[in-house]
Amino acid sequence: MDPRHLVEHAGWLTDTPPTDVGFVPASLRRAPMGVDALDTERLIVNMGPQHPSTHGVLRVLLELDGEEVVAAESVIGYLHRGIEKLAEHRRYNAVGTLMDRGDYVSGIHNELAFALAAEAIMEIEVPRRAQWLRVLMAELNRIASHLVWYGTFGLDTGAMGQFLYAVRDREALLDILEDVTGQRMMFNYVRPGGVVADITPTAVEKIHAFLSTIDTHLDEHDQLLGGNEIFQGRVRGVGTIDLETAIAFGLTGANLRASGLGFDVRKDRPYAAYDEMDFAVPMSSDGDCLARYLVRMGEMREAVRIVRQCIEGLPEGEFMAKVPKVLRPPVGEAYAAVESPRGELGVHLVSDGSDTPYRMRYRPPALYALQAAEAILPGTLLADAVVILGSVDVVLGEIDR
Amino acid sequence: MAIDRFTGENSILFIRSEQLFDWARRHSLWYMAFGIACCAIEGLMHASGPRFDFDRHGVFFRASPRQADVMIVAGTVNEKMAATVRRLYDQMPEPKWVIAMGACASTGGPFREYPNVVMGVDKVVPVDVYVPGCPPRPESVQYAFFRLMDKISEKTGERLAARHGSAG
Amino acid sequence: MRPDTAALARTLSAVGLKGIEIDDVASLGVVVRATPSNVHTVLRALKESEDGFEFLVDLFGIDTGDAVDVVYHLRSFGRDEDLYVKIDMDYGSDLKSVWEIFPAALMPERECAEMFGLTLSGHPNPKHLLLTKGSEPLLLKEHPIRTAEEVRNR
Repeated sequence: MDPRHLVEHAGWLTDTPPTDVGFVPASLRRAPMGVDALDTERLIVNMGPQHPSTHGVLRVLLELDGEEVVAAESVIGYLHRGIEKLAEHRRYNAVGTLMDRGDYVSGIHNELAFALAAEAIMEIEVPRRAQWLRVLMAELNRIASHLVWYGTFGLDTGAMGQFLYAVRDREALLDILEDVTGQRMMFNYVRPGGVVADITPTAVEKIHAFLSTIDTHLDEHDQLLGGNEIFQGRVRGVGTIDLETAIAFGLTGANLRASGLGFDVRKDRPYAAYDEMDFAVPMSSDGDCLARYLVRMGEMREAVRIVRQCIEGLPEGEFMAKVPKVLRPPVGEAYAAVESPRGELGVHLVSDGSDTPYRMRYRPPALYALQAAEAILPGTLLADAVVILGSVDVVLGEIDR
Repeated sequence: MAIDRFTGENSILFIRSEQLFDWARRHSLWYMAFGIACCAIEGLMHASGPRFDFDRHGVFFRASPRQADVMIVAGTVNEKMAATVRRLYDQMPEPKWVIAMGACASTGGPFREYPNVVMGVDKVVPVDVYVPGCPPRPESVQYAFFRLMDKISEKTGERLAARHGSAG
Repeated sequence: MRPDTAALARTLSAVGLKGIEIDDVASLGVVVRATPSNVHTVLRALKESEDGFEFLVDLFGIDTGDAVDVVYHLRSFGRDEDLYVKIDMDYGSDLKSVWEIFPAALMPERECAEMFGLTLSGHPNPKHLLLTKGSEPLLLKEHPIRTAEEVRNR
């Protein structure tokens, strides 16, 4: 019999065979002489467009050497539906419907970016109550959006329960948004000049009910996923994006702040009523998936703080400025950015004086995040690639537009 | 042919056993986790969430088309995606059904004017149930599944009618 | 927020670029008018100046009717300023990649080239990004969207 330990694999294949061994069972027979290591072959793995962990229809081509990613290329465009082109054929009040469907998880932010750009060209004074309502809705939407990310990021790392808890809280948020705007996801609520509807008394009640439970629920989320040792093992030190790479590849938002640069459009280029709000910007300098997780969880808590301030100090007044039914901005060009849950969402609007935009460019923050993720994928393990793509929070509606 | 009356597709044995299978299929409609766009959040995420909880109807998601009975086309299909949708449909085992969820999958929706968008997924795969809305609420998707269950149970009646028609 | 135009002119003339037009557009910001031949020098000079514009916010095209304007939207975090560099490209001309200066331009350049019918050179992966191969450059004004008639008879 072969006297060596079965489990000590190192060196097992390269040892010279003992000469005094008689019978060796087939299962214990050695590899042929001369084979000193397992030959590996480069393998191209196609992930997507139908893959549960690609958050939509992202397709990633991974070249693998064993389990290590050697090269990665993302193939996008499976959800390209011409938001920029169709906006050139819609009146200013109707572009919001298209913007909503861009980054469909955070519709309010998209509408807000377009409305701000249109207002910058037209120089409309937006009533204070409308600005506060915009902030209120945007922050509620931010929590809802981060909950989608939280739920699916857990799925990417192999957990399941947190997804159901995230959907539970999201339902409460969607109820509030539906009460005010009339829709669960595609609001078309923020228009150039203000907002479409005032907040309803039932929505205020629902917000109070939501605020009374959300703090404990967020603690619960933090314990459920963030406190999980397996989860921490899968995200700590994985997918580190250093600051230089982050800036080079145009990373913005929570991803950039997790890499150590505290640029937040809400603080550095205040829009709507954010200059009147008191909130902190969570930051980290680690740049790994855990840092991105912690920054987003911190952002949810800050969003709750902003919602509290909004609902307590909501000023009285009009919710819509006096604007004509058909908007005709003067000839001009403007850029407006908002801090969407995915980063800096900008709208570059060119007007030629007609009732439709001449050119509307939608700056997709997730496209740049995807580029950065793609850049750091080589050298990581296949299992980590899924986690990295999940951690930068891509939404394909926005990447492809 | 006399033997067909006992073993063929018109035989009562076949019809009654298919009825049993249809009853089973009706209550385990597993759909493919294949969200294209916005509708996926409502039709797949919230549908399997705690409020709507489609699991109680036997409607559950599978990650692979090989294990799925139903494909919910939840979103806009463009020319780049159309080939993939068709391929996934071909990979699903028979019997299979397709639910076109939302305006985009039904007709192209708000994006129908863009030359790159396919005006309705029925140009690519056969559709059994259309769900209106942009996006439809999860309740609408639930109703679509009920309609699909009705459609499956109607099969027996059709088979019996065909049998009597041919026997008479 | 808005860079000082005089300082910008000094930065650009230091690398031998004289007479570059710098506009201050009221609703937008400061726009540097470069040409396709000197845009690399301009971008490199802006990036490597003190507290330079090291962040490419966005890159996209505008079909102006006589040419395609390619816009480079830059940002300096150190000075907290935004800047636009615009170049006029003839239809169907060759867009030279700036990815070596700004790696963030990799994907937007591909999108810009395919959507406006430009060719892309100096790019490591100049494939189509969003559309399938052989599609028309849809963002050009000459390519219309479907008419109501076409949609009705789908």
